[in-house]
Amino acid sequence: MANQKILIIGGGPGGLEVARGIAELGYEAVLVEKRDRLGGTPDEASYAALTPDLRPAEEALNEMIEPVVNHPNVEIMYNTLVHDAEGELGNFRVKALQLGKEVEIEAAAVIVCTGFTHFDPGRETQKYGYYEHDDVITLVDCEKMLKAGNFVRPSNGEKPKRVCFIQCVGSRDRQIGNEYCSKVCCGIASKQAIEIRQHVPDCKVYIFYIDMRMYGYWENEIYWPAQEKYKVNYIKGIATEILKKGDRLLVKGEDTTLRRPMEVPMDMVILSVGMEPSGGTKEMAKIFGLNQNKYGFIETTGGPLDTVSTNVPGVFAVGACTGPADLEDTVSMAGLAAMKAISAMRKLAPVSA
Amino acid sequence: MGLDLSMNKYADVPYEEKERLFNEVKADLRFHHALYGCYECGICVAACPSARFYDFSPRVIAQATAREDVDLIYTLMNDSIWDCSQCFSCDRCPRHNSPGMLITIMREVAVNNGLQTAKEALEGYGRIIYKIMSTGTQVSPDMLQPNAFPDWGPHVKDISDNLEWWRKALPPETLHTTETGWAVDDKTIIELYLIWHMTGVMDMIEEIDDGLHMILVDVMEEKLEEEGYDVSF
Repeated sequence: MANQKILIIGGGPGGLEVARGIAELGYEAVLVEKRDRLGGTPDEASYAALTPDLRPAEEALNEMIEPVVNHPNVEIMYNTLVHDAEGELGNFRVKALQLGKEVEIEAAAVIVCTGFTHFDPGRETQKYGYYEHDDVITLVDCEKMLKAGNFVRPSNGEKPKRVCFIQCVGSRDRQIGNEYCSKVCCGIASKQAIEIRQHVPDCKVYIFYIDMRMYGYWENEIYWPAQEKYKVNYIKGIATEILKKGDRLLVKGEDTTLRRPMEVPMDMVILSVGMEPSGGTKEMAKIFGLNQNKYGFIETTGGPLDTVSTNVPGVFAVGACTGPADLEDTVSMAGLAAMKAISAMRKLAPVSA
Repeated sequence: MGLDLSMNKYADVPYEEKERLFNEVKADLRFHHALYGCYECGICVAACPSARFYDFSPRVIAQATAREDVDLIYTLMNDSIWDCSQCFSCDRCPRHNSPGMLITIMREVAVNNGLQTAKEALEGYGRIIYKIMSTGTQVSPDMLQPNAFPDWGPHVKDISDNLEWWRKALPPETLHTTETGWAVDDKTIIELYLIWHMTGVMDMIEEIDDGLHMILVDVMEEKLEEEGYDVSF
């Protein structure tokens, strides 16, 4: 009889939701995670609050983790890295290293949930000086500070009076090669701007943008409150350079809608870094023979009608390993992938219902 | 008037003074119904008749107030708000802002604080204000005299020269003159005087044009006394 297990690679929100779906439908899942804990990037990068509802990330992740770790249908393998695979739908044989020890996993289908990595601001083509100025940080750094409840200038430990975000760092940029929009940064920057205004009420917060992209309810759940209730200043125009001036930063750009050049002093600058495929995503694409697009994300084959199937029958991809994705996308794709993997498996070995 | 937003034109006016005026604008009860946040989309400018004739932008009014850009707001309060025709076409804003209402409030603050630019902007309207406030009715077309309204432009003289001829070309309902239904009855006049007195309009006039205020007070006090009211302005 064919193997009836489904292998899930990656224990972030996507992998967790896939595992829960498969287990609750009565099937068996093996969840492989390279770290010694679940939660993926939101956990690893110490996200403070989720976008758009500002729910504490830890609490939300625990809500996802708990039903998975306690489910008899899910086997979790921590500290495990997949390095080789063979076989086909109904009969994949996957080799992995668990703490240096070789293991083999047999599975009927595979769901890749290896996610993204944050763009490294050292590669941006402007002159923001992330590795030069202490007070130039990224969304990720800011998230850590907010989680620790200690939003201060890295250079001197003082509360900032003026802070700005610069959007689209590493996204929508032909020079860098990332022509896509990373989708979540507008919402996250606006969410963090709200949190900064809550933490440091007398701090002015600016967001320099190309265009704000908060679709659906993010509009009235984040964008409008940030602007109307928290008085975050949105200025259409992207900075090109950050200079040190005294103990502050000087941000150079254009206030486009008011048609005036802009040279404004800031205490801190937060770079809204976008998404790139994670190392694990690129690795899994190679191992399973999955098509990648020119940016390295795993290509799904069904266009808008099937967001999880890949060129390899029986291998599915979920969340930000396929391209920029927010939690809503990822969790929705996870349910779809669970359903598609199970139905592919059932077609091979029909069960009477 | 060219509106240069790239420089802080009134750099010599202390920031605290500009901030005080903006705080007065913000304290107005209507302010929070007139301003939410600004997309800077320009739909208000697209709808604005004044924007087609002047270097005027209701968008900049909303932007400046939404951003709380105190220096820019002060510049606008001096150099921009009097270019608005107060038609409220800008009320079609998707965020439900009303730049026109913001301007109403800014104008009132400008007048109440006696800004020199407000005095200059209203200078040409002294006669109209006098007519409306003393008689309770508007300037009637037959009052157009060659030198009556220099601020309305040189064509006023041409029009007044051939007034009869021009008026024949207009629809009949605009043919009112001082002879036809122009006078307002005493009861209404008294009520108007009392409203202007009690709501602070007379104080605004005093701030903006001392001479006009004196003339109006004379007219109003006499009338009110006749009717048995004891009002001191």
